[in-house]
Amino acid sequence: MSGNELLSDQGLRIDGRKPNELRRIRCSLGIFSQADGSAYLEQGNTKVLAAVYGPHEIRGSKSKALHDKAFVNCQYSTATFSMGERKRRPRGDRKSTEMSTHLEETFAAAIRTELYPRSQIDIFVEVLQADGGNYTACVNAAMMALVDAGVPLKDTVVSCTASLVKDVPLVDVNHVERSGGSPELVVSILPHSGEIVYMSLTQRFHIDHLSKVLDTAIKGCKDIGAILNEIMKGHLTKLDTSLQAS
Amino acid sequence: MTNKESDKCLICTPGQRICLSDNQYIGGAGTYTRQGYITSCLAGVVKVTSQHDKRILIEVRSGKEQTVVPSAGDVVTARVTQINPRWARCAILCVKDIVLAEPFRGQLRKEDVRATEKDRVEMYKCFRPNDIILARVLSLGDAHSYVLSTAENELGVVIAYSEEGTPMVPVGWQEMQCPKTYVKELRKVAKVLPETISNENATGV
Repeated sequence: MSGNELLSDQGLRIDGRKPNELRRIRCSLGIFSQADGSAYLEQGNTKVLAAVYGPHEIRGSKSKALHDKAFVNCQYSTATFSMGERKRRPRGDRKSTEMSTHLEETFAAAIRTELYPRSQIDIFVEVLQADGGNYTACVNAAMMALVDAGVPLKDTVVSCTASLVKDVPLVDVNHVERSGGSPELVVSILPHSGEIVYMSLTQRFHIDHLSKVLDTAIKGCKDIGAILNEIMKGHLTKLDTSLQAS
Repeated sequence: MTNKESDKCLICTPGQRICLSDNQYIGGAGTYTRQGYITSCLAGVVKVTSQHDKRILIEVRSGKEQTVVPSAGDVVTARVTQINPRWARCAILCVKDIVLAEPFRGQLRKEDVRATEKDRVEMYKCFRPNDIILARVLSLGDAHSYVLSTAENELGVVIAYSEEGTPMVPVGWQEMQCPKTYVKELRKVAKVLPETISNENATGV
């Protein structure tokens, strides 16, 4: 069984991490001048660009306008060179459309959409390199871009994955672990209130395992949230000092 | 903000609790109340100001300008873009004193140009394309544009250029004159009062 190689006898994972260890996160904000907000985020080898435009007037079909809140529009695309095998269509296929819908729902729960009736907020995410946890990296990057854009949020949204190998929960699953046949639980939470805004599971496992895998994922979310908070604060202090210097 | 307060610069992130929301502390821009606490909804610097009534206003300022959307009853500044006998199309540029990052579309119907003799209004004698007008948002209208009104003395054209291209001076409430050519043109002129466009006589929506 492939599960044996995913977790060594020493209890280390295939990339040398401990079961509860996250991949390295790097993030920079405000990388595009034209977008209202933008961010670049790396989670290990998964690399994502996010750009936010708006809130602005509804574009395209007017029927999308909501009279009491803003309409959140997401576009998920993966670069043709992002995976081992070259991709034909960067966006518009069934998988990307589904991912866009999931992102829209996640952010509609986190953005204070009631402040901007009849307007639209656009979120564009592009996966440059896919190494597992694409949805997770997209949520985290888009959240940083929303913060950079100054869009009011109820809370930061953070996302993390967890898996189960040999009854040991693993956090922040990479591509090898994911394709190795182990289940993947994806969770997005609002870390301050602890609300779960998105949750999905790729495979079945016994329900007895669910609570510990979920706890691992939520712990991962909170850790990522803390890291991203520090990055946000660092970015703000940098902005603040550069403003005072000028 | 006094210098003392700006020294201890407190940075907060969305969802972070700032303080208890009670009679003494009130949340301002960039905050909202959740479970009895004032919570930040932006990443930025906390600004604390004490008001005249001894209450303390908590605000969060981010570096980026916060965008607003027009709501019913607001006075907006708009540029006339298109005119026909029934209505004028406008691009809303400012809401109250906040400049919008992007213009919103507005529509000013013939019936809403002035309060009296509504049926004798002729659009071409009230506005020209490129005029800057003050108007009040009547309603959110249909999906396409906001419905505007200039049916108040304080609302109407504030900046207009003559055919020759110079800014005109108002002479009376229906006319403006070019200071170079002395040609008079017809407009629905706003009686601009310094800093007082009262919200008391807001039109019933």
